[in-house]
Amino acid sequence: MNRNLVLGSTRELGTVALVAGMCGAYAAMLVMLSTVLGTSSAASGTSGFGAVLGVVSTVFVLIALYVSAVVVVNAVDTVLAGRLGRIALLRLLGARGRSLRGAVMRGTGAVAASGALAGVAAGTAGAWAFRVVLVEHHVIRRLDYPVVSPWLLAPLASIVLMSLAAGWVGSRSVLRVSPAAALAGQIADEPRRTSRRRTAVAVTLILGGAGALVLAAVLGESGDLGGFVLAFLGSATSATGLLVGARLVIPRAVAAVGHAWGGAPVARIARRNAVKDPRRTTRSTMGLVIGVTLVTTFASGLQALRLSVDSWQLSATRRDEAVSVLSTMTTILVVVAVVSAVISAVGFVSTMSMTVIQREREIGLLRTLGFTRRQVRTMIAQESAALSGSAVLLGVVLGLVYGSVGAQALIGSQTSGFVWGVPWRVLAAIAVGAVALVLVAALPPARRAVRVTPIEALRIW
Amino acid sequence: MDQPAPVIAFRNVSKKYGAGSGAVVALDDVTLEIAAGELTAVMGPSGSGKSTLMNLGAGLDDPTSGEVWLAEHPLHALDDEARTLLRREVVGFVFQAFNLVPTLTARENVILPLELAGRRLGGADLARVDVLLAELGLADRAGHRPGELSGGQQQRVAIARALASQPRVLVADEPTGNLDTRSSRELLDLLDRAVRDYGQTIAMVSHDPVAAARADRIIVIADGRIAGDHRGLGPRDIADLLISLEVGAA
Repeated sequence: MNRNLVLGSTRELGTVALVAGMCGAYAAMLVMLSTVLGTSSAASGTSGFGAVLGVVSTVFVLIALYVSAVVVVNAVDTVLAGRLGRIALLRLLGARGRSLRGAVMRGTGAVAASGALAGVAAGTAGAWAFRVVLVEHHVIRRLDYPVVSPWLLAPLASIVLMSLAAGWVGSRSVLRVSPAAALAGQIADEPRRTSRRRTAVAVTLILGGAGALVLAAVLGESGDLGGFVLAFLGSATSATGLLVGARLVIPRAVAAVGHAWGGAPVARIARRNAVKDPRRTTRSTMGLVIGVTLVTTFASGLQALRLSVDSWQLSATRRDEAVSVLSTMTTILVVVAVVSAVISAVGFVSTMSMTVIQREREIGLLRTLGFTRRQVRTMIAQESAALSGSAVLLGVVLGLVYGSVGAQALIGSQTSGFVWGVPWRVLAAIAVGAVALVLVAALPPARRAVRVTPIEALRIW
Repeated sequence: MDQPAPVIAFRNVSKKYGAGSGAVVALDDVTLEIAAGELTAVMGPSGSGKSTLMNLGAGLDDPTSGEVWLAEHPLHALDDEARTLLRREVVGFVFQAFNLVPTLTARENVILPLELAGRRLGGADLARVDVLLAELGLADRAGHRPGELSGGQQQRVAIARALASQPRVLVADEPTGNLDTRSSRELLDLLDRAVRDYGQTIAMVSHDPVAAARADRIIVIADGRIAGDHRGLGPRDIADLLISLEVGAA
């Protein structure tokens, strides 16, 4: 089975290649930089530092892999949703669902492998250049640093495995296609129910995590450092709960944000389309929530620490020293964490564009009924804004809680009361990024959508 | 005799698709008036240009040359924005399929053109919509989404929507094309009643002789030109007419 028959042009899978490439570049950067820093610190007799770096980079790479997997699943699912007619034809001609699904997996695997290879190469080169700069500026010593590491194979293999698995999950719809129904153009969206068990698990994790966070804040006030471990566990537990229950939480949040656009027909259709397929809604925004949460958590935690430091009676030099260390840490952590947000933003833009293309007939109908071009553009922008706006809001709120509770657990006893770390500059940057994302995701597909005359759009069958 | 102004008027209208040797002439110098208060059927073989004619008349497409007047407005001289606004004021549409916005309920679909026209929806408007839905046998389906309705029900919702804004003309393109005989007959009865009881102007494209036999006037299009203009034909006459056209062309 030729994979092109199922998946179509590689352009549609461009998102998969791009995401695999970004993930690969990021992982290679982290692997090589922690190898370099590990070598450097081993030479100066602090080898424990290298081990910690290794663990931290592994965690960040795993998060990026997870976010990429969600994006790839969504990309495959969306591409296939637009090709159900073609798939039905193949089924009609005798192709088996399993072999079509295998073709999808091979397709995504191959595209992701080439993307990941390019990404790992680029990341390794980037890390090399960065290391040269660090050496030139005497940040680290001039040593015989490795240019590559066998550990680079790990992200490469993980990305390929991840995309094979994502291709399998994302192509579930292929098996649901009944040839007759799809050829008639009527593919029923089967209601997707969330199982009761999933709900129960999610609620338990969220409540348990929230309880741990409260306890951590209290322990922090009494100076018990066990509170910090508890804060980490509480954040991880409640975040896992939110991921498990994302399908319950995110579409509701999107619908709530969508209500802000009012009750006019344009806003109503935008809102309904944003949550039409709850699973796709969730997948296309989940990565954004994760990325924004990570960035906000670090920024907020370090900002809370900084506010506490400000309230202590320190000499000017010691205070400046502390503030400088904290802001360097903020920069590094935010830069490292922002990648998940960027990867998911790429996924968001591509999903938005594909769903608008797939809705060409509907848009043609709306134009026939009297939607002006401007109204169509507004509708698509509002849909995009409801989706990314709610993801960003959710991420910011979670990040503020996680970050501030973490800081409280760490140094609550040395500061009076609970300190909210509100990192205004980072929040402003997130807001600007969110607006940019809405526009980048909405404007190109909207422009394409209104360029087609209503009858051209309606003729497509 | 004092003739009322035609709802749609075509004056020497031509429409070409493509350019050079691949160009297709869909309409060739057509002059035609669609009169108010009548059910006019536009018939012809596939590819004869009948749908193109209706698309031009409803302002969905531009003529290559000639003039198209809709409700006394020169469509050929309006830009896309102005045409859109005119369309939502004076035209109601029923297509062969995919008439309804999938994310809106039946009732919301019916109200949509009223809302788009920026009318403040008073109780009287909403009451009229509900009466319309009830008359079309949709009272208990009003809160359902299109995916939950049968094909016949979807077409009836489309008719309710087309009538709700009390348009000057209802344009129907193969409205029975996807329906079984019974739903098809019910739908034609509805269109018939809209003309007889409420004086609704309807222009219907069809290649179904049974559907066209309900019309006051039958325009036949072949190869982009008007090949006939008849009144009072029965289904059998129409079928013979169409067969003679097809055979004549071969």
